[in-house]
Amino acid sequence: MLEQYLGDYITVAVFLAAGGILVGVGLIVAGLIRPNNPSKVKSEIYECGIEPIGDGWSQTHIRYYIFALLFLIFDVEAVFIFPWALKVETFANAGMGGYILIEMFVFIGILLLGLVYAIRKGVLKWE
Amino acid sequence: MNILDYHALLPELLLAATVIAVLVVDLLPVRKAWVAVVGLIGLFASFIPLLTLGLCDSLSFCEETGVRTMFDGSYTVDTFSLVLKGLFIGAAFVALLMSVGYLESGRFWEGEYYFLLLASVLGAVVMASSRGLITIFVALELVTGPTFLMAGWRKGDARSNEAALKYFIVGVLSASVLLFGMSLVYGVTGELTFPGIREAIVGAELGSPGFKDLPLLNIGVLFVLLGFGFKIAAVPFHFWTPDTYEGAPTPVTAYLSVVSKTAGFVGLLVISYSAFADLRNIWGPAVWILAATSMTLGNLTALRQTNIVRMLGYSSIAQGGFILAPFGAAVASGATGAQLEDAFFATVTYLIIYAFMNLGAFAVVIAGAKRIGSVEISDWGGLYQYAPGLAGLTLVFFFSLAGIPPFAGWFAKLVMFSALISMDNAWTNVLAVIAVVNSVIAFVYYSKVVKSVWFDPVPEDVLSGEARNVVVSPALKLALGITAIGVIAIGFYPPLAANLGEMTKTFVAGF
Amino acid sequence: MFFAVTVGDWLGEVENWVFAVLAIAMVYAAIRVVTTKNVVHAALFLVIALGGSAAIFLLLGAEFVAWTVVMVYIGAVIVLFLFGIMITRAPLGYETKLSHPRRVRIGAALASGALFLLIGGAMLDAFGDDPVPAAIDPTRTSDIGQSIFERFVIPFEVVSFVLLAALIGGIVIARQDPTVEEEEVLQ
Repeated sequence: MLEQYLGDYITVAVFLAAGGILVGVGLIVAGLIRPNNPSKVKSEIYECGIEPIGDGWSQTHIRYYIFALLFLIFDVEAVFIFPWALKVETFANAGMGGYILIEMFVFIGILLLGLVYAIRKGVLKWE
Repeated sequence: MNILDYHALLPELLLAATVIAVLVVDLLPVRKAWVAVVGLIGLFASFIPLLTLGLCDSLSFCEETGVRTMFDGSYTVDTFSLVLKGLFIGAAFVALLMSVGYLESGRFWEGEYYFLLLASVLGAVVMASSRGLITIFVALELVTGPTFLMAGWRKGDARSNEAALKYFIVGVLSASVLLFGMSLVYGVTGELTFPGIREAIVGAELGSPGFKDLPLLNIGVLFVLLGFGFKIAAVPFHFWTPDTYEGAPTPVTAYLSVVSKTAGFVGLLVISYSAFADLRNIWGPAVWILAATSMTLGNLTALRQTNIVRMLGYSSIAQGGFILAPFGAAVASGATGAQLEDAFFATVTYLIIYAFMNLGAFAVVIAGAKRIGSVEISDWGGLYQYAPGLAGLTLVFFFSLAGIPPFAGWFAKLVMFSALISMDNAWTNVLAVIAVVNSVIAFVYYSKVVKSVWFDPVPEDVLSGEARNVVVSPALKLALGITAIGVIAIGFYPPLAANLGEMTKTFVAGF
Repeated sequence: MFFAVTVGDWLGEVENWVFAVLAIAMVYAAIRVVTTKNVVHAALFLVIALGGSAAIFLLLGAEFVAWTVVMVYIGAVIVLFLFGIMITRAPLGYETKLSHPRRVRIGAALASGALFLLIGGAMLDAFGDDPVPAAIDPTRTSDIGQSIFERFVIPFEVVSFVLLAALIGGIVIARQDPTVEEEEVLQ
């Protein structure tokens, strides 16, 4: 069982490695064939031709945080949908299709209410 | 196949529906007061099935009797959980009443507040029935999660922010410690339900040695205890309490010190008795120490406070010690049978009475702060002269907390002491002596407030203000009325609380 | 009992090599999370540590947990961390004022080292070289689904309330309060 399971993931690992090699080889080859003469001016931050002022980082608006928060909450919700989706059929065959469907609809419905709340209260408006 | 017992789950379902309804009403273009009304009606409605469940044996249409268990025993509705659910819902009802006027008097987000409060109560109610690691952890998260946010509800106030942040960091830390402890327990026993864990620890299967002496399991159990120690603000895990209690809006503080704290106690009682019953030699002494230090340190620090909210914060730490005392002493001294039942009875009865008197004390503080504009004890001087009713209530609740008859507190102290003394061994006698000394100390600082209110002259700066003419909101009056009647009625006729405590004894029957 | 497996046997297993690489990377990243002076770097090192733990969960046959770590922690929590860092006014570079004095840091290191030894020792004592059950028979995502809807329906639904409360409370705390005039318009 474990062999088969890990074997499945070897495929994933091969793809990951292939992706890494593709990028790595590309960068190395590019590094080898491109002309290389660094200077101080070249490594300066380019900002539409204007002299950069201050640090590269700046304080961003708090509304981004709310979007990130919404994303996190619905990400967690999505995680729960996977095991549900794999089991709907089994439960339906056992005569409990309505039960498992309602449980998931309640779960999603409660969280959707949060989205309705955010829209209604104008949190998602971009002013 | 029907997995769910809907009658047993009805309180939770109604409360969940209320939480949703509150949120929906908040989105409708109606006055915010309606949100609170919906919440109050919902709390009241979810109280009714508790009665039908409790009385099920004597009703004709009820078939099932006794304890209802679901999901391999990981969710149980027994008399213990019914009594505690009733306590949670009742205390939340009062806390919500206390919040109404407070929220209207300032610029707060109202609808969301009621939503969070009710969501937290839902967690507490689920907690009372949880008999499994996953359920109890998720329930605990639902109890505490909303309260982190409610503590910071005065958004512009730096102290409220500090309160929320401190509470959040400590709360998350304790949750992670608790979760780590639970993972160790699960890793060793391979069980998630409390009955299953208990069996695995003893080694119920033939030929299985059990895990009683495994160091890893003991570490796990202590971590779980530590996690709950933070939740119930037991010394030495109490350092967040005074700042959080002082900075948070006062109704939230009342909620934290009663519902959230009781939920912690319930979790602790349930998990230690039903899962770790056979490891009493590990956690018994630890609980004993928590009880002794909480009482002593809480009271000694409360003695020095000049701010009434901080004083109540430390006093609730000390009261937590009193609540733990019979539980810790009974377990540390290896009591069984009737003695253990008495100790359990004392703990639950104390919790019920504590809920009434502490909520009442905080309601008095809210009303007083509104009239006087200060929560410094010295500014409360001479309250009797211009607000005799409030001064009377101050006397009722603070003397009740001190344990003076005829207010309910004396009975709580009585059952605690009688449980301690009846066991009569070194562990319990030492703790009884500590508790007596602490009761005396507690009397000093509680009576300081009462003395200030009744006998001191009115301070100059308070006199000159418009303090006299502020009207206390009707909801707060109702909250004061409910708690005052409760405290006085139990004080004169203790069986009101004692019978409820008596019903929960069955929980420890088999230990 | 602890070291019944010889080094040669240990090196013979491919899984152990994978584990060793992951473990070294994780320990390095975890140490850097707490020692780096730049908070953004700390968040990025956390990505490596979490990625390593996801891979170890995969090796242990807990694929659902592994992908949850990837989706929720690496995908969303770190993003939230970075936004959280970026909305604060604090300079993002080196912040030495926040560092504790040396003796506090040494004390913290000693305390966590002692805790590590205690728990690690107790774990070795309890499990020794027992195989992980799920690593012999991996727990598939459908098994998780089975147990959620068979035994953990109540916590499952309660989780949705936890998330909703976090969402709404988080919005209230994070959003800008409307001015008095705006409030009148809303009502």
